[in-house]
Amino acid sequence: MHAIPQLIVSTLLLAGVYALIAVGLTLIFGVMRVVNFAHGEFLMFGMYLAVGAFAFLRFDPYLTLVVSLPLGFAVGWASYRGVMGPIVHASHNVQVFTTVGLSIALQNLALVLFTADARFLRTEYYAVVVRIAGAAFNVAQIVAFAVAIALTAGLFAFMRWSYTGKVMRATAQDRHASALMGIDTDRVYALTWAVGITCVGAAGVLLAPVYPVYPTAGLQFVLIAYVAVVLGGLGDMAGAVIAALVVATVEVFGSYVIGTAWKEVLYLLLFITILIVRPAGLFGQRGAEALGM
Amino acid sequence: MRGVTPAVVFFASAALAPLVVRDAFFLDSIVLILLWGTTAAAWNVAGGYAGQISLGHSAFFGLGAYGAAILGTRWEISPWIGLVAGAGVATAIGLVIGYLSNRLRGPYFVLATIAFSQVLLIGSSRWRAFTAGSEGIPVPFRPGFWTLGLVDKRVWVWIMLGFALLAYLIALYLERARRGYQLAAVREDEDAALSLGVPARRLKVVAICVSAALTAACGALWTQYVGFVDPIYVFSIDLSIRFALAAVVGGLGTALGPFLGAALVTTVETYLRAEFGGIGGRFVGSYLIVYGCALIVIVRWMPQGVVGWIGERWPRRAAVRTAP
Repeated sequence: MHAIPQLIVSTLLLAGVYALIAVGLTLIFGVMRVVNFAHGEFLMFGMYLAVGAFAFLRFDPYLTLVVSLPLGFAVGWASYRGVMGPIVHASHNVQVFTTVGLSIALQNLALVLFTADARFLRTEYYAVVVRIAGAAFNVAQIVAFAVAIALTAGLFAFMRWSYTGKVMRATAQDRHASALMGIDTDRVYALTWAVGITCVGAAGVLLAPVYPVYPTAGLQFVLIAYVAVVLGGLGDMAGAVIAALVVATVEVFGSYVIGTAWKEVLYLLLFITILIVRPAGLFGQRGAEALGM
Repeated sequence: MRGVTPAVVFFASAALAPLVVRDAFFLDSIVLILLWGTTAAAWNVAGGYAGQISLGHSAFFGLGAYGAAILGTRWEISPWIGLVAGAGVATAIGLVIGYLSNRLRGPYFVLATIAFSQVLLIGSSRWRAFTAGSEGIPVPFRPGFWTLGLVDKRVWVWIMLGFALLAYLIALYLERARRGYQLAAVREDEDAALSLGVPARRLKVVAICVSAALTAACGALWTQYVGFVDPIYVFSIDLSIRFALAAVVGGLGTALGPFLGAALVTTVETYLRAEFGGIGGRFVGSYLIVYGCALIVIVRWMPQGVVGWIGERWPRRAAVRTAP
């Protein structure tokens, strides 16, 4: 049982980044009622940003992180204005196919620009490991965890206390009523989309020093994020964070018990079980899934 | 025969083309157009007519492909039987997904279908003892019709045409028959349809099962045609998107649309690959960028697809012509 402290630490470190990815996804769903199937591609571009900045400009990934925040926001805002804005009130089909189309286009844009070769970001402190209480921590993972938690907490504070955050929550609750109250809902959607993309882009930068980077790298993370988001209740940000912890626990402890080869099957089966047993998620509104809202 | 003239022209030219042209590349294109057209038409039964958007249809395709490959390589059973077995398993999975479609709507259903295909993808790449894992199964070439070892591509065209016609006739049935109208009602407003006594739940499940079985049949044929099956391709999300894309481009919920969509998509793909694929393979993904953008553009400006777009313009021009 000497492995238990190590497993707990690994779980926590994973959960931090998963939470940041899931929070952006669930925020977009909660306010806009759109499932962003291109979420993983924005993550992948965040990873390439870190790799590129390190390779060409010798930027440390954590310096890139600072740059990635406004950049992610700008890309998010532009993609909302160009692609998402016109279809935000359209039917589910149109929304699904639009984000899927965006996903294919972005993924293959990366393939053409950067080729399919896996790239690695190796900083000087890459192999530095800290040992506390019998558990080993990789520095890059610790920083990723700390920054992800800080960003997630910042987003929560923003949603809870800022005026804009309140406006976004009001729109999430009832878009028609908030429009009647004089809220510019189109602007709120643009902001929501941009904030969601910023979160996932930052997560990409944080993951780049730990994982290999290739055009479909986003998929594995975004599948986990879907599981977390549905488990937490689509649109529920606190639920998504707790669910990210649950999914990370399943992944880490599952890999330890039955081997890493089958870990994805574990959380996908968890996902299907939730969808069958309690599709509204742990904290979601019962019945939401049957309305597709 | 009202309304089916374009389809008659389309299928007749596909049937007669092998008699005129002997060029292997051209015949290969026809086989692929008919195959992808049939998968798109099968997807359309669930996605277009029943309104159950699935991005996990590669699960069914892969089940058919593996059904034929495993039965054929292990026990030397005919791929035709493998095709039926794969379709049977796919129908069983279709029942589960159909059950889910009665509990989940919109994005929830899409996510559930993706999860299913991913479970099969990972399962088939890890369960090496049964599926040979991610390196895939090469299907040995055994000459003969019963073993589907056919050198003559013309026979392939006619086999595919048979399945394409089957898919087209199912779609035509859904457009003309009472059940089809009921299914359309379920798609447009399930609660209203239910309150009028339409067996909405059963209809959806049946539509998904038919769609699943037909997709699996295509998977089995594809394996025999290509001679190889591997999990990364046959269970991928990209493949699921490919089925949906051809249906969306051609026209959701139209009988001929998926075939026209597949013809368009396959042709554009071949052209772009030939044009850009050669330069060190750097532009391998270029046609997929075009697809992604096309998908965004079509659902926004041509939600009825190519068929709808043509249909809108056709009668108007006819009316102008008959005006004095």
